[in-house]
Amino acid sequence: MFFFLFSSRVKTLLRDKDSVFWTLLFPILLATFFYIAFSSVMNKSEEFSPIPTAVVNNDSYKSNTYFSEFLKSVSSGDNPRLKLSVLDEKEADEKLENGQVSGVIIVSDTISLKVKKSGLNQSILKTLLDQYLQTEKTVQAVIESNPNAIGEGLLDALSDQNIYTKEITFSGAKPDTMLNYFYALIAMSCLYGSFWGMRNTTEIQADLSALGARRSIAPTHKLKAVSSDILAALVIHFSEILITVGYIAFVLGVDFGERWGYVVLTCLVGCFTGVSFGTFIGSAFRKSENFKTSILLGFSMTMSFLSGLMFGNMKIIIDQNVPILNMVNPAALITDAFYSLYIYEPLTRYFINIGLLCVISILFTIGSYLFLRRERYASI
Amino acid sequence: MVIKVQNLVKRYGDLLALDHFGLEIKEGEVFGLLGPNGSGKTTAINCMLSLLKYDKGTIEIFGKPMTPDAYDTKRNIGVVMQNVAVFNELTVFENIHYFCSLYISDKEKCNKYVDEAIEFVGLQDYRKFKPKKLSGGLLRRLNIACGIAHKPKLIFLDEPTVAVDPQSRNNILEGILRLNREGATIVYTSHYMEEVERICSRIAIIDKGRTLAIGTKEELKKMIKTGETLTIEMYKLSDDDLESIKSLPHITDAAYSDNRLIVHCSGGKHNLIRVLDTLKVRDLSFGRVYSELPTLNDVFLEITGKELRD
Repeated sequence: MFFFLFSSRVKTLLRDKDSVFWTLLFPILLATFFYIAFSSVMNKSEEFSPIPTAVVNNDSYKSNTYFSEFLKSVSSGDNPRLKLSVLDEKEADEKLENGQVSGVIIVSDTISLKVKKSGLNQSILKTLLDQYLQTEKTVQAVIESNPNAIGEGLLDALSDQNIYTKEITFSGAKPDTMLNYFYALIAMSCLYGSFWGMRNTTEIQADLSALGARRSIAPTHKLKAVSSDILAALVIHFSEILITVGYIAFVLGVDFGERWGYVVLTCLVGCFTGVSFGTFIGSAFRKSENFKTSILLGFSMTMSFLSGLMFGNMKIIIDQNVPILNMVNPAALITDAFYSLYIYEPLTRYFINIGLLCVISILFTIGSYLFLRRERYASI
Repeated sequence: MVIKVQNLVKRYGDLLALDHFGLEIKEGEVFGLLGPNGSGKTTAINCMLSLLKYDKGTIEIFGKPMTPDAYDTKRNIGVVMQNVAVFNELTVFENIHYFCSLYISDKEKCNKYVDEAIEFVGLQDYRKFKPKKLSGGLLRRLNIACGIAHKPKLIFLDEPTVAVDPQSRNNILEGILRLNREGATIVYTSHYMEEVERICSRIAIIDKGRTLAIGTKEELKKMIKTGETLTIEMYKLSDDDLESIKSLPHITDAAYSDNRLIVHCSGGKHNLIRVLDTLKVRDLSFGRVYSELPTLNDVFLEITGKELRD
């Protein structure tokens, strides 16, 4: 009987075209849209283009050999930061006006930068000049206190641009903020499993539908009917999520790392959370199906938004301000499980996420059981 | 006794839906439950099916207390709901097969029963149709097939002919009588008096959660004051003649219009003879004469009152 109930339920749910669209086709379409929208960012090379810059060729510039050497050094080599043109003031201004250069450097008593607009190039130019002026002041201050310092290698030490922080990744994967959008999308899809859960409860509870009443009258044990329905929803939704993840990973080429076993486990736990969430909402409220669908959609979208579906840094902002929210938001936990699996070698953080998801799912299941175990109703 | 309900009390908050409701239905009966909207018919059925909790009373079906886990009892019960209760994603065959399989575990027997149910409701040409493609009448027939395919010994039919055209309704009523002839006990609720009068062997009239009257239709008709209605075709009738007819015993009202004299009588014998004698004495000629006995509608209105209900 259990297998009959299960297989009939699978057949019925699979033919529910609306739900299949929202739980399978919609996430795939959204992933494709994300891919198109992000492809320019994702495929962009990180090579730095030298910033076109003009320096006014006046007497002060010619006499300031330290500065002219500095500009020469940042405009040459394998990775030049500036594409420098030494021009007279009028010519430099014309090029700035035409947008052929991002800024014009003028050396007088001080060193100044003339720009037409603000932007990334202008910020880099300003930072470079600030850095030079800072170094110049430092050298002057050191020489005033210790004239022998130059002989002791002061200039070499200052010109050595050491980086004292190092970017390290535990799993060898390259950090990529774009991945979070796709992981959040899968989290949203997992939560859409709630639609299956809600439909199940509507069709098993005598006080929610005529179909539920007819099924309740039949000589079938309630627990058997409920569990076969939930298993059918879980199997269908898990298959849908695997198809979605497969599409995102192998067709769109989004990186999930190497640990596929855990990726699949995350999908399974995520599906269980989604289905149990829908089962709980479906059984807890005696409202119309449309009302409950609105609740599920609203919750799923809000949780997905908070996990970074629409704004990648949202999860980080919440982590900094309301960290507890990320610990109770299933979408954030699923997203973080995927990301921690991708980025960190140790599985501690991953298992914390999975553990919290399991706790949330179990709470939903217990809540649903308390409502679904009723076999007689106060009203129909 | 197939069903025995005693002192059933069901409250919805302050509303008393069933007030010490009682009922006994014998094997082989087609039992009609009549009552105005909100009288407690569906509540009573839902309590009997163990879907609703009740505050007091006992319900026995096939001599055993009815509980949600009385699976052996449930196996012999079929229900046709007021609202159509089928899966929109499954075909006619699949729907009937699904519900039949919940009762019949033998696959071969189940398939045979499903085919018989499809034939019974005349849906042979629609086996592969999904419910959305069916008309209202066909959908009702599918609803009935889902409830009776497993050949239950006791069938509850809760207003199965609502929004059904006369042809389909006739087909459904014929089907119910056939089920009864094949041995099923039927509990039938409807707003259509002529349906109940046509198919039910015994009827209970309930209102405000109480059984007001119970008996065969003849017994019920005897319980009320309203008697036969006489219609006599006449070319002319003076006011004086009309007054003389009105003054006869057991005549509650008389009116003459469109060459017809219509006389309403209370219970009592020889009303027709007395009216015709009066006409003869007054030397009044008349044509055709009709006598109509009180209908179940008269019984229903007299017992439950004529005020409008929700």
